[in-house]
Amino acid sequence: MDDKYSSNVISGGKLGRVEVPNARLTRYIVLLLLTKMLKALGIFESYDLLKVVHIVQFVFILKLGCAVILLFFQKPFSTGKMVAKRQWIKILKHAVISSIISLLGFFGLTLCGPLRTLLLFEHSDVVVISLLSVLFTSSGGGPSKTRGAAFFIIAVICLLLFDNDDLMAKMAEHPEGHHDSALTHALYTGIAFLGVADHKSKVESWSGLIMPFVMIIFSVMILDFYVESICTAKLEAPRSARYGSIFLFLSGLLLANFWTHPLTDQLRAMSKPGQQASTEHVLSGGVLVSACFFILSDSILSSPSKKGQKGTLVGYSPEGIPLYNLMGDALQHSSQSLPRFIKDSLKQILEEYDSRQIFYFLCLNLAFTFVELFYGVWTNSLGLISDGFHMLFDCSALVLGLFAALMTRWKATRIYSYGYGRVEILSGFINGLFLMVIAFFVFVESISRLIDPPNINTVMLAPVSVGGLIVNLVGICAFSHAHSHGASKGSCSGHEHGHSHGGHGHSHGHGHSHSPGGRGMNANMRGVFLHVLADTLGSVGVIISTVLISQFGWLIADPICSLFIATLIFLSVIPLLKDACEVLLLRIPPEHEKDLNFALEKVQKIEGVLSYRDPHFWRHSANVVAGTVHLQIMSDVVEQRVIQQVTAVLKDAGVNNLTVQVEKEAYFQHMSGLSTGFHEVLAMTQQMESMKYYKDGTCIM
Amino acid sequence: MVAVDVINFQDSDTPLHRKKQETDTYVLWSGPPWTLTEQGTIHPFRKTHKSFLGKFVQEFNLVASDRRSWKILLFGVMNVICTACLLMWCNSTNSMALTAYTYLTIFDLFSLITCLMSSWVTMKKPSQLFSFGFERFEVLAVFASTVLVQLGALFILKESVERFVEQPEVHTGRLLVGTFVALFFNLLTLLSVKNKPFVYVSEAASTSWLQEHVADLSRSLCGIVPALSSFLLPRMNPFVLINLAGAFALGITYMLIEINNYNAVDTASAVAIALMTFGTMYPMSVYSGKVLLQTTPSHVIGQLDKLLREVSTLDGVLEVRNEHFWTVGFGSLAGSVHVRIRRDANEQMVLAHVTNRLHTLVSTLTVQIFKDDWTRPSLVSGVLPAATLSASDYGGASGFLPPASSKQAEELDPLTSTPTKPSSPPPEFAFNTPGKNIQPVVLPSTHQHRPYNLGGGLGVGAGLGMGARLPSVQGYRTSFSAAPHRYGSNLLPSQTSQYRP
Repeated sequence: MDDKYSSNVISGGKLGRVEVPNARLTRYIVLLLLTKMLKALGIFESYDLLKVVHIVQFVFILKLGCAVILLFFQKPFSTGKMVAKRQWIKILKHAVISSIISLLGFFGLTLCGPLRTLLLFEHSDVVVISLLSVLFTSSGGGPSKTRGAAFFIIAVICLLLFDNDDLMAKMAEHPEGHHDSALTHALYTGIAFLGVADHKSKVESWSGLIMPFVMIIFSVMILDFYVESICTAKLEAPRSARYGSIFLFLSGLLLANFWTHPLTDQLRAMSKPGQQASTEHVLSGGVLVSACFFILSDSILSSPSKKGQKGTLVGYSPEGIPLYNLMGDALQHSSQSLPRFIKDSLKQILEEYDSRQIFYFLCLNLAFTFVELFYGVWTNSLGLISDGFHMLFDCSALVLGLFAALMTRWKATRIYSYGYGRVEILSGFINGLFLMVIAFFVFVESISRLIDPPNINTVMLAPVSVGGLIVNLVGICAFSHAHSHGASKGSCSGHEHGHSHGGHGHSHGHGHSHSPGGRGMNANMRGVFLHVLADTLGSVGVIISTVLISQFGWLIADPICSLFIATLIFLSVIPLLKDACEVLLLRIPPEHEKDLNFALEKVQKIEGVLSYRDPHFWRHSANVVAGTVHLQIMSDVVEQRVIQQVTAVLKDAGVNNLTVQVEKEAYFQHMSGLSTGFHEVLAMTQQMESMKYYKDGTCIM
Repeated sequence: MVAVDVINFQDSDTPLHRKKQETDTYVLWSGPPWTLTEQGTIHPFRKTHKSFLGKFVQEFNLVASDRRSWKILLFGVMNVICTACLLMWCNSTNSMALTAYTYLTIFDLFSLITCLMSSWVTMKKPSQLFSFGFERFEVLAVFASTVLVQLGALFILKESVERFVEQPEVHTGRLLVGTFVALFFNLLTLLSVKNKPFVYVSEAASTSWLQEHVADLSRSLCGIVPALSSFLLPRMNPFVLINLAGAFALGITYMLIEINNYNAVDTASAVAIALMTFGTMYPMSVYSGKVLLQTTPSHVIGQLDKLLREVSTLDGVLEVRNEHFWTVGFGSLAGSVHVRIRRDANEQMVLAHVTNRLHTLVSTLTVQIFKDDWTRPSLVSGVLPAATLSASDYGGASGFLPPASSKQAEELDPLTSTPTKPSSPPPEFAFNTPGKNIQPVVLPSTHQHRPYNLGGGLGVGAGLGMGARLPSVQGYRTSFSAAPHRYGSNLLPSQTSQYRP
């Protein structure tokens, strides 16, 4: 028994998954190979047949023959369960859809030839399902499936771009085979096949076509169906799908190579017409590469997924087995539907002033960009198109700002315990870096142009830059309004603050209004504003340099303008970066620094307070200033009263998220008792000693 | 007795030392506080600004005085030369892919700067303005450099889209040379300079998709050739990986352009390199960005929850709220928590126990004890009598015990500050560590005034305890303010080791 098990593992070549050894399954694999070869042959033949028979007739005959044979073999009405009424409707739906699919498939066959149809159309359902799950769901099943999907896409792209068998020319060659007409006619003739004869099929004798039709029906439909079901039962679905697609593609490649060869002419039933076809749909490098990629991707995508749920390691069981928590994964998947999500986030965006401004401006910008792009494509002007992409690039900063403004209002979670307010500072920082990068690139570009000024075509430049200027000016108006709005809001809140806390608050409110310009706005909005400002400067620079070039022919005006603009952007970003850095580095907020020092002095004068240590104050986000402080108080003072007083004093200084640790001497004694390590005990003892030392010192003095 | 002498001697020495250190930092930092901040926050972006130039040179000299940073500076200079060469070649070959690859070299320059900064950070003590210390500069530098490279990759993407519209000719003359020069320099820099922050981040952050794919491929490769498993299976260094992958893409580009004159391949491989850059840098910037956003690191949440659950079941604790835990630099946790306790519970005792529990994980901890209705007269009936202070005997006792018997000392009740009787109920948390299984017994409010005199009752080292009984206010103030970071800094092994007999 052990022997058998181990031999299984080893002969399978794979640890973990046990597969049935290939030796026992050889006959099924050979059967599959033969079937797939016959199928490929049938498809090649049906391509030839489709040149003489109209596609609808072809599909009808195919389905009819198939139905008759299967009816004869399977006996669906006489054996098995009765088909219920509801099932009939389902069967009808299935029939309609499958006939449409096969119609489309054979239509594609007429357009792009048998080999390419095989490559694109004949994938098993396992492959298609896993491809779709990779593309459209978050849990695709590991990196290998993603790789398979990437290969699939690359293969399709190869077929589309690098294959010199171009489809457009073929479309033009077949004037009767247009997509639309074929579809409408398919519906039309599907109903009344016999009566309609305006489709001239170029058939001389239907009798000569009986053999090929029988051959196609047998190989493409019947044999494939039975062998596939047997192999799926014996080999398991993924394996048979993998082997099947590989065999099919390989035999397709082989046949495509020899199809026009005289050797295969005996095989071809329809050798009379279409001799000119020997030049169309031949093998090319692109097809070979894409066939390789298709085979790879099929073998990857059809391999059974070793999908394990992602869990977080919780700990170890007493036996030493790792325990995982799968909750996080389950929670992630409980997302609502896409339209609902869009609706909700739109509502959230429009609720707040900041995000509404950004959103409107983003829409305006995008509209301008797309108008520019379409016009560029229309007039085939490269300058316009590249400027449109540049605008899209700039829009990414706006999207970032919008997202940050949206995130800022999310509720605090376990991980973001202070709330998401800090996101907007980080976004401001990133936007600042973005502007730095832009300034840098503009700088480098203008220096290289300064050395070698290129000839600039100024025809298209002026209207575009004027349009951009107008859009950006609108943005500046909107955001500077937001700026003043924000500032006034800030001072308002300062005053309110002052009222609630007595006389001290008044000076505090003043401090707010006297704070340097730009502070009133949050970092995120400042970043967005600077971005828009930089764009405006760019438009102005382009307009000026256009005027200079077209009037005076100073080609050097353009790089000088860009140099100037780059410097301006650079200088304007520095304050934003500095402020954002200060917040991110947990510096004491500069606008509260004096207040805080004053407040700490006051704290020390509170009755019973001996000293304080570890004062940490930092700005967490636009409206949260957090702080922690440790106080040492005399043993006979009530802690809660001290906490209340200290909180009040520091609240006046602007700290609104405070934690005060009040320590008496007893605390240190407890700590020294609790700390079990020898070194810690020693350290604690030493503290006590030092305390005594000082006490002695002061006593002596 | 000898031990006592030694301790006394050390005691007279250390506070002075500590005080001196503090004045030093005062001179260094608090004197020109704002200039210092400017210098710190500006980070590598504008070294040329005039008013900070002097400060910058001063800090630079500080870093350069260390011999280890010379190597980094040497590599930096080499990197700048190499980057300049590569940029010239990019211009002459007109290749987008080589430009994208050159940005990786520029990223190496950033990482060298980060490395310098991390050695600068280790020399700095926390100042008044940056009370948490300067470790966050490291985090910010890592974040900024990863974000900058990603922005560069975004720029590459934009340029590539423009190039897809109109593909210019690419000259392959210097393409391969440039690739190998860049690869060589990048690998040399990566493997020879020990870059602490980036190594930490690349190990702590989640894997990039590039790493995942390589791991998946190498796992299946190891199924065929098991001998490679020691080489392929461990987690790949993401920087080495992206350098190799970029060089590979450039090699393919060179071949295809040489053989088939497919110029579009250059753009495609530029897009591929840019996407790989995104994939590699994104997890790192997410990790460092989360540190900057003051979030609780998800890997400690389990431990923290366990500790907080323990805390909430301590006797007298009603609830734990407003818990904020976050990382200061890479690694060290800071946090604050509010604990609501029963009205009759002893605040200092609960504080000590909570601190003791959380201190193992959170190094910079602040605990605020909160009581409802504390103004009610039954509690504040009067000033606590001085007898409470006799508990100070604990400290004296442990000091007098010879070090060899410290194990024994732990088993004594007075040391654990918990007046547990032998017949007391079993502790709630037994961790098999003596001294930690404390059941704080809170006496009823009628006995509130003399909770801790049990230790004094044992009479160990009572002489010293008497001394600390009624300290003058003045003495307390000086002693406390002279040792602001006493609790943390005294636990350093370097400082405590000198007291070993």
